[in-house]
Amino acid sequence: MRRPSFLPAFGLLLVGLLLYGGFSAVNAQQPNFPVVKEYRIERSVPPQAVACIECHRATTPGVFADWAKSRHASANITCLDCHLVQSGEEDIAQGHEKYYGRSDLPYGESQYKVPIASIVTPKDCSRCHPDEVTQYSRSKHANTLEIIWKIDPWLNKGMNSANERKTGCFNCHGTVIKIDAKGGIDPATWPNAGVGRLNADGSKGSCTSCHTRHRFSIAEARMPEACDQCHLGPDHPQIEIYNESKHGTMYHAYKEEYNFKAAPGTWTAGVDYRAPTCAVCHMSGSGKVMGTHDVTERLSWETQAPLTVRPQDFKPFPAKTDWQVEREKMKNVCRQCHSDAWINDFYNGFDNAVTEYNDVYFKPAKATLDELYEKGLLSKEKFFDEHLEVEYYELWHHEGRRARMGAMMMAPDYAWWHGFYECKLRFNKFMEGAGHLVKTGEKAYIYPNFPNATGSTQRPEKIFGPQQ
Amino acid sequence: MKKKYIIGAFLVLLGIIISFPLFSMTYYTMVRTSTPEFCASCHEIKPAVRAWRASTHANNAAGVVVDCMDCHLPAPQNTFEFLFAKTYHGVKDVAVHFIAREYDRKKARTAAYAAFENSECQKCHRNLLYMPQSRGAMRAHRTVLYARPGYELKCVDCHYDLVHNDKASVMFRQYREVPYQAKGLKPEKLGS
Repeated sequence: MRRPSFLPAFGLLLVGLLLYGGFSAVNAQQPNFPVVKEYRIERSVPPQAVACIECHRATTPGVFADWAKSRHASANITCLDCHLVQSGEEDIAQGHEKYYGRSDLPYGESQYKVPIASIVTPKDCSRCHPDEVTQYSRSKHANTLEIIWKIDPWLNKGMNSANERKTGCFNCHGTVIKIDAKGGIDPATWPNAGVGRLNADGSKGSCTSCHTRHRFSIAEARMPEACDQCHLGPDHPQIEIYNESKHGTMYHAYKEEYNFKAAPGTWTAGVDYRAPTCAVCHMSGSGKVMGTHDVTERLSWETQAPLTVRPQDFKPFPAKTDWQVEREKMKNVCRQCHSDAWINDFYNGFDNAVTEYNDVYFKPAKATLDELYEKGLLSKEKFFDEHLEVEYYELWHHEGRRARMGAMMMAPDYAWWHGFYECKLRFNKFMEGAGHLVKTGEKAYIYPNFPNATGSTQRPEKIFGPQQ
Repeated sequence: MKKKYIIGAFLVLLGIIISFPLFSMTYYTMVRTSTPEFCASCHEIKPAVRAWRASTHANNAAGVVVDCMDCHLPAPQNTFEFLFAKTYHGVKDVAVHFIAREYDRKKARTAAYAAFENSECQKCHRNLLYMPQSRGAMRAHRTVLYARPGYELKCVDCHYDLVHNDKASVMFRQYREVPYQAKGLKPEKLGS
């Protein structure tokens, strides 16, 4: 008698469980039910702008919602204020005009037709933000394409392919935007939001690298996450260094309390944030130091260069600054939280790290490399196709940078284990190999099939003028 | 005593007789040489006047016409600056006409932009801070009118190629296809 009474109970339980499971699955999806962001056009904008908004909220709701949440939308700055171009300009989006003839789209009527450009450039932004753009145009960010084309062997010796460059180098450094014969943007150069993008209107860079479209948020650019999309990895691990430093540790512990949305010029140490983010030291105003969009401004050493030099002596792009003035500015930023003794002692360590890197590691290695070239033991024709060239390159470009940047931004593991420790190993290996060649007079082995070394060695005409 | 008065009156009369034609001739000269037609009598300037005639500074719903000297010279009520600038440019232009081989329009344009003072634009464009339909301009104009040291800008740094760009047809302000907006900072200002 007992057994049969169990079965229905068990069955009920099973059904109950299934139902519960089913409901909870539905419940989990509940937050996703589609609510379209409302936007009533209550303030007057040109009818063409109404057309942009109404059509794009239907066709690209993500772009629309982003903009609707932006400060631009609050200030009644619409699509047109940034995307509008005068008729006859080179970068008019030809493909866009067909949408004004489509009756299935809201506002798809020819009366709303305006010439627009897909790419909004710093020049466009300068219509309302001239000072920010002026500062930015002086920075190494804006001019990074010129810099890498002056010093980088991957480009100048054609050691990687066009696509390796597009998906790698140029993704951060920026492309040279090309408009093809039909008026479309050359797909090899776009999409791109690189900091040094050379635009069709001649302006350099992309504000959307740090203030991503279509939010253009000041808060976003104040977070280290805005910088770490590019500043990471073996050759410039600024974000890893920051995360290891006390500054980064405190940021991660307290970021929920940070007020990232403070108005420009009001972001205050100790009030709005507890420890600095990248932007605090390199860009934001602090105490009496004015904010700047020139990230090169407050630097007193070029720690990314092969031989560490002062910014004004950095030959590929000499800064128009005086390092002593700039160091004083940076110290003023430090002073918001630190005493002079602390700051000076810190800079002492950093300066020593730079001097030691220059004199003990880089200069002897460079002298040896030059000797090998002079004696014909290494071939000058290409770079990276001989083992010692790679060793030399990694000494300054990888561990040499990690050591210097690690010392600068107070990450002991990067200053030592990923930095000077590896510099020592690399230096010894390089010197051993070089010594062997000099002793035996043997020429270095050349990799006969260097893979995918197909990239153009032609410097971009728009930056360097016509080349032979 | 009486003789003294007569001499005095005679001198005043003489002064009037001499100065009246002198002043009116100067005035007449000033008026005659202040018209766009006069400017266009030099072949070097003709293309600039032609472009201006087709521009919105000559064609707009308000019927306002802005002449060459309204932008290119100080205001006439600043008599000394006005007369000095006008005479200087007049003499210089005639001299250069005979000395220089070729007129480089591009170079002259750069020089003109460099010589422009914001006050020349602001003779007419005075209400620049409150434009509810153009918030961006409100922001940009504030940074120009109350510039931070080192960030001084000229109106023509963003509003350039506005008048003297060669157009195929006459441009009426009220018939603009798209709303007017400044072009953003000039390439020179962007370091390119």
